[in-house]
Amino acid sequence: MKPAPFEYVRPGSLAEALDALARHAPAGRILAGGQSLVPMMNLRLVKPAVLIDINRVPGLADIRVDGGELVIGALARHAALLASELVAKHCPLMVEAYRCVAHGPIRNRGTLGGNISHADPASEMPAVLAACDAKIGVRSAKRARTIPATEFFTGPLTTALAEGEMVTEIRIPTAKPGQGAAWQEAANRQGDFAMAGVAAIVTVAGGKCTHASVAVAGMERPGVRLPAVEKKLVGTTLDDAAITAAASMASEAVRPSGSYHADPIYKRELAETLTARALAAARERAR
Amino acid sequence: MTATFPKHIPAEGYIPPSRQQEPPRKSYKYIGQNLKRVEDPRLLTGNGQYIDDIVLPNMAHAAVLRSDRAHARIKRIDTSKAKALAGVYLVLTGAEAKEMTGATAQFASPPVVQYCLAVDRVRHVGEAVAAVVAENRYVAEDACDLIEVEYQDLPVVVDPEAAMTSSGDAVLHPERGPNNIAQHRTFTFGPVQEDFAKADVVVKRTLRWGRSGAQPLETVGCIAAYEPGSGKFTMHTNSSFLNYVGWLVGASLGVPASKLNLIPCVTGGSFGSKLFTHKVMTLAGTLARAAGRPVKYLEDRLDNITSCDNHGSDRLYRCELALKRDGTMQSLRFQVIDDYGAYFQFGVGTHGNSLCQIVGPYRINSIQMELIAVLTNKCQQGAYRGFGSEVTNWMLERMADAAADELKMDPIELRRRNLIQPGQFPYVIPSGNLYDSGNYPAVLEEALRIAELPKWNKIRDEARAKGRCVGIGIATCQERSVFSATEFWSLNGTENPGFTLTSSPESTQIRIDPTGAIHVTLGSPFWGNSPETMAVQIVAEQFQVDPSQVNIVYADTQSGFNSTGPGGSRFTVMIAGAIVGAAKQVKDKLLRVSGHMMEADVGDLEFRAGKIGVKGVPGKEKTIGEVALFAHYFRLNLPAGDAFASGLDANYVYDHPLTTMPAADRSHLGIFYPIMGHMCHLALVEVDPKTGKVAILDYVAVHDAGTVVNPMTLAGHIRGGTAQGIGTALYEKFHYDETGQLVTGTFADYLIPTLAEMPPAIRVGHVETPSPFTEYGIKGGGEGGRMGAPGALSRAIEDALSQYGVRCDELPLTPRKVRELVRAGEKR
Amino acid sequence: MALIPISLKVNGTRFERAVEPRRLLSDFLREDLGLKATHVGCEHGVCGTCTVLMDGEAVRSCLSFAVQADGCEVRTADGLAQGGKLSALQQAFWEKHGLQCGFCTPGMLMVATELLERNAKPTKAEIEEAVSSNLCRCTGYYNIVESVQRAAELMQEGAK
Repeated sequence: MKPAPFEYVRPGSLAEALDALARHAPAGRILAGGQSLVPMMNLRLVKPAVLIDINRVPGLADIRVDGGELVIGALARHAALLASELVAKHCPLMVEAYRCVAHGPIRNRGTLGGNISHADPASEMPAVLAACDAKIGVRSAKRARTIPATEFFTGPLTTALAEGEMVTEIRIPTAKPGQGAAWQEAANRQGDFAMAGVAAIVTVAGGKCTHASVAVAGMERPGVRLPAVEKKLVGTTLDDAAITAAASMASEAVRPSGSYHADPIYKRELAETLTARALAAARERAR
Repeated sequence: MTATFPKHIPAEGYIPPSRQQEPPRKSYKYIGQNLKRVEDPRLLTGNGQYIDDIVLPNMAHAAVLRSDRAHARIKRIDTSKAKALAGVYLVLTGAEAKEMTGATAQFASPPVVQYCLAVDRVRHVGEAVAAVVAENRYVAEDACDLIEVEYQDLPVVVDPEAAMTSSGDAVLHPERGPNNIAQHRTFTFGPVQEDFAKADVVVKRTLRWGRSGAQPLETVGCIAAYEPGSGKFTMHTNSSFLNYVGWLVGASLGVPASKLNLIPCVTGGSFGSKLFTHKVMTLAGTLARAAGRPVKYLEDRLDNITSCDNHGSDRLYRCELALKRDGTMQSLRFQVIDDYGAYFQFGVGTHGNSLCQIVGPYRINSIQMELIAVLTNKCQQGAYRGFGSEVTNWMLERMADAAADELKMDPIELRRRNLIQPGQFPYVIPSGNLYDSGNYPAVLEEALRIAELPKWNKIRDEARAKGRCVGIGIATCQERSVFSATEFWSLNGTENPGFTLTSSPESTQIRIDPTGAIHVTLGSPFWGNSPETMAVQIVAEQFQVDPSQVNIVYADTQSGFNSTGPGGSRFTVMIAGAIVGAAKQVKDKLLRVSGHMMEADVGDLEFRAGKIGVKGVPGKEKTIGEVALFAHYFRLNLPAGDAFASGLDANYVYDHPLTTMPAADRSHLGIFYPIMGHMCHLALVEVDPKTGKVAILDYVAVHDAGTVVNPMTLAGHIRGGTAQGIGTALYEKFHYDETGQLVTGTFADYLIPTLAEMPPAIRVGHVETPSPFTEYGIKGGGEGGRMGAPGALSRAIEDALSQYGVRCDELPLTPRKVRELVRAGEKR
Repeated sequence: MALIPISLKVNGTRFERAVEPRRLLSDFLREDLGLKATHVGCEHGVCGTCTVLMDGEAVRSCLSFAVQADGCEVRTADGLAQGGKLSALQQAFWEKHGLQCGFCTPGMLMVATELLERNAKPTKAEIEEAVSSNLCRCTGYYNIVESVQRAAELMQEGAK
């Protein structure tokens, strides 16, 4: 299991990286943490002709708060995000979900930008970012633009990134008072990709749910929100009956793909169970 | 001792006398101690010398192109582009390899022909199609990418029951018959019909054991070098059976075994899967000879997972257990369909193995097995910790639990009623095998004591009161040890009777050097267990010397002796026998020499703490070093004759302690696996009925492996084996989809448990019932926990989900599977 | 493919080599530098036998290219024993029977090294989390956890 040959480019700045990406399009691929890309290369499932290693690009791994947004550089490592006090304060949902992501040595290398660019439907972060209404900052040599997370993921292993574009940062609205969020996941083993995962965020004011956000992992495509479920929750007191009804709707709303480990029927059941549990936990935290 | 026999076996002369030289004792100085392993320092520092650590001058690297088809004819292979790639020394197709190298070895009778590279047809995904030798593995893989293969797809057979009626192109080996049944035969041991006729209750179950495998973290490899002119091969190998496998590989390469020197390596785990690594060795030898330079072929994980030739059992059982109303078992009959995959290297050896403990620890009077071995488009079966007996253990435990449910009895009580009692040994079971000794009730009571069952019951009841699904499971199982080779041929058709009685020997050389250090040569390699530590403790006991005085050496096959190797939990028993035999000769000579040195009668001497002294005379003694120096260099001071020849060394070949021939009509199979251990596993689990996730809350495993040489390492096997049993029961499966693709072909999908999946602790207990047939009464314990965990866990989950009325009759019980069971229960 | 010059420190020794970009760090350490303690078990990042420390962080060396280690400090299990003596961690694995076949052991040692360097007094849960990132097929893991606990004790005693 050895990768096919490739040309290696190591830009020293973002501008150089974007230049390289433009120059080598479409053969060039960004190498960030490599924790998804390199296994696929070792298996020779992918054979990029050029790897553009952005690990030495300065300033790409920052974690900061900018106004009402938590801003995460694309090269921020999972381990750094899991340990970050800023993330814990402003996006506790992400921390909870990260506890389900792989293991220490993988988290030491893997990056949030790389993770979402890879767009594995079973990965946790696409669902978290979709639930949070995050925005994905992307750039090419020619332009910069922002893509809502809900539009960023276009299918399994595919994104809205155009040729020559790379993710540079992720902007997440900071958690507000009255908001509660929770992550629930079913995986075979600790750290495995999700058979199903649910991110839920609810805002409660005056005893009523004023906003709800529910996103799922492990389904047909990454980063899927369930607007019908959200709609059903808004205006309710988030009592058990409301949650049960919403969860039941979630099992209908998801579009599960099947695999040996989890067939569609099972995934629908998981969507229901995990939605109920995530909503119940989010409700408690919103109080 | 009064032996117990079933009526259909003639008792007269059935059990040969014991050859035990060292009867078990109440206490020992070194046996039974938790000696730190002597193997560890070099493994901890990176100096292990595993196969991949070995580099030979001018060595090239091989990679194998593997089939992406499950079943296809190879129409055409074009290797021209691969051959043209820079750094490529050799590209070989199956057809080209067949010109130089014959079929690979096997035990099946009649054989299923197989080559190290597929010749004109591939029969499973991952089967080797061509091989490349290049300057490094990267280039070799690049060249594999450049080989063009044109296939013609053939019908794919995945379902074992469908394989029974395959026809036409769906038949994998048409030369063997008109369908994919490799062997179909019924064995009856004792009055099955009568026992069923007399039964009050017959419990029926269909059971499905999924395909898992050892998957040691080190794959199989071989470095082969060929010397033109002399025609000699030298092979570094991580085979555990190098003394056996040399013959087989030599036969394939067309050279006598004397032209092959196999050098053992430290092995990164086997669990049975590296017993015979003959296909890898045959391939490496073929490539080295053709390439004219040493070649390393080391499987990568994909090679190993798809094509290791050692997937485990894959069985469908239809069972009937006949009982009396009081819960006593009378007879068991079953049909078993076993999916052997695309080839049949060991024949139905795994069922020969099962039959040695087919009644478990229970008094069952008769047995009938209808065995249907089928061939499908999957990797072939080999060995995995238990070699088929772990499956029958699970089957028996499932049937015991089913009987308890049907009779509304407590599963523990039902087992108690059926256990063979301590006074009934030696106990001959209906299949003819002997259980040498045991105290099964003591093991059960010890397990219940450690678990504090009333506490578990309280935990379960309180959880249930809160709506949680907590359950308790038990398994009381056999753990046969010390295999002899009979199991590989005794189930063959009578037209192919196999062999005469096999001794499956193990040997050693003990040599004391002039300084008094003791060198012990093993003819078998380190395969991941503790052979050196075992040998050191036993030698230290024999000579009453400090373990630091003992040095272990591994022989290659050119310098070694008649040895079989570790497998079937035999090594500790067998090496103890060899050490006792060799040590006796060396000690006799030490006494003779020291008797002369001290002018004492040999009968008045004793070994004491590194010295030989005159009994009852403190201080009148010589160190072993003093005697050794004398024996080596001052021999002319001693009497004439060979008894005082210079030096202090002895070789000894120890034969299997107790094995006999099967009956010609196979009404019984003889004694073939008699050193019988026993275990009781108890599991406390919680199941999330909504997600199907199982959490093991507590776990107890009590084993009886006879006299224990090192409790710490035995506990290591029990815990590690239990971890593998947890994997088999809950996580691991080689799953082939309907097109024959292996969809769990990486470690991301073939799910080996991590620590997070383990119970908080596995609490281990030891009961010691020494064997009357082995030295010191030692029994094997290497396969341990994997033979008990699946039964205990299946029952615990079933118990936890009792409100849903589920039956856990199919493994693995993955979350998806558990959820399916609950879902069916919710609908009822 | 052109070779790329790299310069890095491995177990305290500086090496300068030229490597193909695709050369995995695991193969570089084992084959180019002859450091055999780092083992290769799956080459897709799951088993963790190839775990090494790169600038103090545990990483899978089968998922890193050697060129990426340019300018870095890499540590492997080859470098744990110093002055002909086993380290406290190695001693603890020996004492607590933390290994059987030894193949996963170097990876476990490096995961434990990272943990103990960050946290001299880890809780059992912290040790369990670290150990759960790697596979072991022999031991059932408990003795590995005990070994790390014991190593922490030995290192505390040594520090006094």
